[in-house]
Amino acid sequence: MTYFIAKRLLQSVFVMLAVAFIAFSLFRFVGDPVSQMTGVETSLADQARLRAELGLDDPLLQQFYRFSNNLLQGEFGYSYRTRQPVGQMIVERIPATIELGVVALVISLLVGIPAGVYTALKPNSFFSQGLLLTTLVGVSVPTFVIGIMLIFLFGVQLGWLPTFGRGGTLNLGAWETSLLTVDGWKSLVLPALTLGVYQLTLTMRLVRAEMMEVMQSDYIRFATARGISYRRLHYRHGLSNTLVPVITIIGLQFGGVVAFSIVTESVFQWPGLGLLFLESIRFVDIPVMGVYLVLIALFFVVINLIVDLLYAVIDPRLRVQKAV
Amino acid sequence: MKQLTTQRCLLASALLALSTGTQANTFTWASSTDPQTTDPHAVNAAPVLSFLNNVYEGLVRRGRDMSIEPSLATSWSPIEGKNGWRFELREGVTFQDGAAFNAEDVLFSYERASSEASDVRSWFSPVTSVEVVDDYTVDFVTKDPNPLFPDSIANFMIMDKDWTESNDAALPARDAENFATAHSNGTGPFQLKSRDPGVKTVLVPHEGWWDTVEHNLSEAQFVPIGNAATSVAALLSGEIDFVSPIPLQDAKQVESRPDFKVLEGEETRVIMFGFPHEHEKLLDDSANPFTDVRVRQAAAHAINIDAINRVVMRGKVKPASQLVPAGISGFSDANSGRPEYNPDTARALLADAGYPDGFSFSLKCTNDRYINDEALCRAAASMFAAVGMDAQLTTVPVRNYWKELRADDFDMYLLGWSPGTFDAEHPIRFLLHTQDNEKKLGSWNFGNYSNARVDELLPQIQREIDPSARQGMIDEVVKQTQQDVAYIPLYTQPLMWATKKNIDVTQRADNFFILKWVTVN
Repeated sequence: MTYFIAKRLLQSVFVMLAVAFIAFSLFRFVGDPVSQMTGVETSLADQARLRAELGLDDPLLQQFYRFSNNLLQGEFGYSYRTRQPVGQMIVERIPATIELGVVALVISLLVGIPAGVYTALKPNSFFSQGLLLTTLVGVSVPTFVIGIMLIFLFGVQLGWLPTFGRGGTLNLGAWETSLLTVDGWKSLVLPALTLGVYQLTLTMRLVRAEMMEVMQSDYIRFATARGISYRRLHYRHGLSNTLVPVITIIGLQFGGVVAFSIVTESVFQWPGLGLLFLESIRFVDIPVMGVYLVLIALFFVVINLIVDLLYAVIDPRLRVQKAV
Repeated sequence: MKQLTTQRCLLASALLALSTGTQANTFTWASSTDPQTTDPHAVNAAPVLSFLNNVYEGLVRRGRDMSIEPSLATSWSPIEGKNGWRFELREGVTFQDGAAFNAEDVLFSYERASSEASDVRSWFSPVTSVEVVDDYTVDFVTKDPNPLFPDSIANFMIMDKDWTESNDAALPARDAENFATAHSNGTGPFQLKSRDPGVKTVLVPHEGWWDTVEHNLSEAQFVPIGNAATSVAALLSGEIDFVSPIPLQDAKQVESRPDFKVLEGEETRVIMFGFPHEHEKLLDDSANPFTDVRVRQAAAHAINIDAINRVVMRGKVKPASQLVPAGISGFSDANSGRPEYNPDTARALLADAGYPDGFSFSLKCTNDRYINDEALCRAAASMFAAVGMDAQLTTVPVRNYWKELRADDFDMYLLGWSPGTFDAEHPIRFLLHTQDNEKKLGSWNFGNYSNARVDELLPQIQREIDPSARQGMIDEVVKQTQQDVAYIPLYTQPLMWATKKNIDVTQRADNFFILKWVTVN
């Protein structure tokens, strides 16, 4: 087991270095940071001097070596845009994104699982068909359109919910949370819903498909014959057997939710990592983009590692060290 | 310490509100870009200078109509016997931390703003030295007579020497942050209460401000909202009081609601097309037709500016004849006509130049820099095509754009120019003078338009004291460059702000948002 974890951790370092390298070789095409950092009247000589100071004239490999070397020593550098330390900027933005992602996930599970069970058990009911159709529309319409529509309905027309930002936040040590204030929750509803729609649909359809399959299986028929109550049959015997694959897929999807919350965060001016990344692209803020991408790679690696470990726990066959 | 001052201010303003019976007015405004820094010398960009104009002040400042008026200097006059300007400073001015303002601060700020680490040092390229005459008199000595110098330093903001030095911020932060990046201590009407970059910045009135207070705000909050649709929604939902800019297409929707109003104005930015004057070949390796003035004239006659205004810009723009709009000092009234739209003339000119069947070229535009820039270029491309000039349009984000233009990767390009000094000399220096890195001239003249007479006139225009002689020379430059079709000026970019109906703001042509002119009714 220890060997397995150590091996995976070693692999993950290489994955992150590879991501950093690919990112670095693409940064040249993102644009020119110096023209973003200086005003129109700044002379070309001054621009060239700044470019040299930042090491942007150095060969790609040398820039990459400097970046990864600093990274390994825990030095993340300074943002070209705000001149703040990159580490601090990213750490400050993490809570907003995690909270948004978790709440979106919770919403998608709380609605998606019961809806999936219902549509599986009553596949032909009017309500089921309606649910399937609306969620299909939900995944087909681009996220930013959903976001803007929600904003105009609940923010502008009805005036129930805020249109942007995180609302009231409280500091729990270094973690800035919006989950402890009413205002914060109000601000969270619309972005979480927007971000969660895709997950919700996925969960619902997955649960529905698995459930329908399980309900056809022999042990359910025998259980029905034994006269077990439908409630117990559906939830104890049916649902719990559908959840294993569902949890695996949802877990893996969570990485995507956090990494790709960019659009939602931009529509709602949600001050998380995604918005930071978007602003950094606009300003060609290479240090922030580099660290962000490596961080997201780390995130995916860790989630995959956890899922692999869970597999090993669930399925004893995977614990065999080496198949010869 | 800073916390204490802020608290004292809050208490003072609360007491003031109680005593006069007025309510506390918190004003929230949004714009698309967060100022990158609060250091007034680190970044020469509109979001930074606009925001910091509320906190810091210069020797001179611009009024509601952009005219230069006294600020930290009460008067200025040419130095006797030397080239340059003498500024008499205002007495009794204090910084927000309570320190007194005097000539030492001006000298220090000059040294800081003209250092290599500063991004505003180009303002001081005519200056040879700054001399403190006494506590309230400073001389800015220049190489040549420089009539425009006071106008050119309206955004040169004065910092307190002791505060800046004791906080290790004697030089502007170039690659790493320093104390001045997120803290400030100016003499202006508002002071920084808190700053969360990219999320919210809060200002409160500076109680010790020397000038008469016209606003009635007790607190002002700035929130950056990058997405235009979101910021309009935030305004309509009442969460924010003011937003700038709003998209042209949203103006109607905002105006149709009873509680909101749209402020329309004209920015000083002229949108234009530029040519590859000195390229031997086009990008597709064919000979460069644009070296022939008749081809450039044909291109100008092909543009139907009224149609562009109607279709792309919703009737909100004024056509431009030259590189600065009317109202800017040095605008050439004698040359205010535009080439008329006439496809037949254009075709005839092309035939004369040896292109009866037209030709194909590459048109390069931004897609995120100017208002509806991509739509503009699409419309223009079809107008060029109508006379036989087959424009292959490529649009790129601005972060890539300048690099590609500097690499000569264009056959025709889009450019918007706002004269930083609000004088007609500015575009001559940057867009019309031959490229000259050593003299720092022509740095945005991507196609390298070059005319010996224009180059000769520029330094004379910069030196000339007599207004009518100066205007005569500017008129000559404008006439010459119109004849040569150095650029095709299209229109002046509109300014669109939106606010709640009960709020009065002043829209200035430089698109700066000035808090001291905000009143909540």
